[in-house]
Amino acid sequence: MNSETTEKKGVWRVVQREVARMLSQPVYVFCMVVAPLIGFLFFTTLMGKGLPMDIPVGVVDEDNTSITRQVLRNLDAFQQTAIVKQYANFGEAREAMQQGKIYAFYYIPEGTTELALSSKQPTVSFYTNAAYLIPASLEYRDMKTMAELASGAIARETLYAKGYADSQVMGILQPIKMEMHAISNPGLNYSQYLSNILLPAMLMLLIFQVTIYSIHSEVKEGTSKHWLELADNNIYKALAGKLLPQLLVWMVMGATYLVLLYAYWDFPLKSGLWPMALASLLLIVVSQAFGVFLCEALPSLRWALSIATLWGVLSFPISGFSFPQIAFPAPLKALSYLFPLRHYYLIYVDQALNGLPLHYSWVNYAALLVFLALPLLFPNRLKKCLLEYQYTR
Amino acid sequence: MKWLHNILEVFREELHNSIFDEGVIVFFFVVPLLYPLLYAYLYGHETVREVPTVVVDLANSTTSREFLRKVDATADVEIVGHCADMQEAKDLIHRRKAHCLIYIPVEFDYALMEGRQAVVELYSDMGSMLYYKAVLASCTEVSLAMNQDIKTQRLVGATEKQASTFAYPIKYEYVPMFNTQSGFATFLIPAVLVMVIQQTMVLGIGMMAGEETEKKRRGILEPHVIGKKPIEMLFGKSAAYLAIYAVISAYVFCLVPRWFHLAQIGHWTDLVAFLFPYLLACLFFSMTLSGIAHNREVFIIMFVFVSVPLLFISGISWPTCSVPEFWKVVSWLFPSTFGINGYVKINSMGAVLRDVKPELIGLWIQTIVYGITAWLLYYRSYGKHLKDIIEVAEERLQARWADYL
Repeated sequence: MNSETTEKKGVWRVVQREVARMLSQPVYVFCMVVAPLIGFLFFTTLMGKGLPMDIPVGVVDEDNTSITRQVLRNLDAFQQTAIVKQYANFGEAREAMQQGKIYAFYYIPEGTTELALSSKQPTVSFYTNAAYLIPASLEYRDMKTMAELASGAIARETLYAKGYADSQVMGILQPIKMEMHAISNPGLNYSQYLSNILLPAMLMLLIFQVTIYSIHSEVKEGTSKHWLELADNNIYKALAGKLLPQLLVWMVMGATYLVLLYAYWDFPLKSGLWPMALASLLLIVVSQAFGVFLCEALPSLRWALSIATLWGVLSFPISGFSFPQIAFPAPLKALSYLFPLRHYYLIYVDQALNGLPLHYSWVNYAALLVFLALPLLFPNRLKKCLLEYQYTR
Repeated sequence: MKWLHNILEVFREELHNSIFDEGVIVFFFVVPLLYPLLYAYLYGHETVREVPTVVVDLANSTTSREFLRKVDATADVEIVGHCADMQEAKDLIHRRKAHCLIYIPVEFDYALMEGRQAVVELYSDMGSMLYYKAVLASCTEVSLAMNQDIKTQRLVGATEKQASTFAYPIKYEYVPMFNTQSGFATFLIPAVLVMVIQQTMVLGIGMMAGEETEKKRRGILEPHVIGKKPIEMLFGKSAAYLAIYAVISAYVFCLVPRWFHLAQIGHWTDLVAFLFPYLLACLFFSMTLSGIAHNREVFIIMFVFVSVPLLFISGISWPTCSVPEFWKVVSWLFPSTFGINGYVKINSMGAVLRDVKPELIGLWIQTIVYGITAWLLYYRSYGKHLKDIIEVAEERLQARWADYL
């Protein structure tokens, strides 16, 4: 009974000590509050509308007839396209593209109208700068729609004139039509597509680093023995006391990004809040656990931090949220499952996007729990390090 | 020639310190060597091929089977299963066996027979935009080819050419320039390469500065600092870091793209003339930032997370024309913004030096401004306070001598 009360007191005193540390060193305030908020704010304001509007496009109209001008006016009317300039020839337009002034241009060769009127089917070319992938693919879409509409309009008139019925006209113009359904993101909102993973990923990276810094800097400053003594020389109590107050701050940050994503932006959350809230909480705790694990494995602040940085930054591409995992080389495909963010991403797709029952994602929840057990591997190594390690450089 | 001697001494010592400090080696050498390789390997396939797709073919006719066979034959889509109904198909998607679904309704055949428009419905799991692109592009391509034949049959007495001209009086041709297969590696790797240079320099130089601050606090002073003017320190150190990064840049910008067969269409003189101010701007930017490094590690945790926002703000993925004014101005503070755009233009798009004039001017302005701030900072740490620190150090030394004797 007696020992239990001192135990409680021990952890509590470590907590108090940790709160004082967090408040006294600006680096904690910066990395735990300022940095995540800046990051969240950045992505909220950067991609505000979800799609880039009025992408600058050029035109080389060597034909310059009323018909070609009509075609171009139609294109300009699209929300995502803004025709900013006419160029005299192909070379000038290409140069403007190389200078980054335009992302795409139309090339209408001389004689286009004449050929079209004499039914000789001329070709109009559309060049995009695919070195910038997002604007290029959006421009491609606008161009394609425009081409369909423009051609369709002329042909439709002719068919009506020939006495074809409404239902037959489309059957002749486009006998088989594709109807695309983008499940849960019909508007192809890029902000939804990216922010859902970028925000938690940034938080994860910061948690890795702050956790490691807060543990190993004790060794460096020579305060680690005092820290352990306060926790009755019990490494578990020491870690609990240190990580709990941090966890609270991280949870507030986690809740902040959940509110931003699912309340402020109103991105799809088909599963309801709880599965994603659970996933976020797990990602936060797992990130802490991973930090502790690295501290145990690498008894030096800079090595643990360097590896955490490598792992954290690599998490972004290897989670497969932008470039899909099925296109990775086989070894990296396997490796991707060693990154907590990969599992978070899969849970997000199942739950928030597709609204599946929880059991479809159980493997990924379980995988996160496995990461949680990592610090139990060799806690005594860390204890030894806290007691004996001398910081050299 | 005292000054030259001084600069050379600082240069030598700084080079020695960088090469023999484990922590700095990680950022100056290991990360720039490894990261580009990892990224290039990861994105090596450029785009996603053979996206697993399931099919619900309720029409089950010659035409619908022909359509599916042709879609399966495209490079981007692979049909992995035929399901009896939507429920079964969706279940396969939910269990991640497939990412897209092609649904051909019963009406498909009736519509075709009656000369109406037949609709094929496509569904895509939006976990990745690339699934969507793959299935839509492949199916559209196949349907266009098949439409051609059907039209010819329907327009009585028309030849194939006439039918085509009729539906499309003007043909549209799409040419993706500078990245012909719209690949991920070609688009992202150049930006990553440029970013790696800036980020590792900030971290490495920050770490070395932090180390010095730590030592000063303990009253230890590197011997080569004594008797040097701040400007000599600045030049000596810059020369050392530049020497290291000249080698790193040669590797990052010449070898890596060559190994992974990425576009390299710029002229080497343009590239060198552009990368030189980029390295200078990064260098002085790092030195200026290192003023707030009061210990070795603090920089890592404060600066790494910035990498991803910086990549976005540069305009390589989210177009610059859609970046809000405020963030655009913020982006001008970082050499990476100009560096990425200029490098992509020269290397991937074959631009010449005058095409990247705005970026070049930006980098030179940064070089001058950050050069001045770095000098002011060095003036503060090696000029005014140096005497006090030397006094402290000498006192300690004497005390130690006294103990020793």
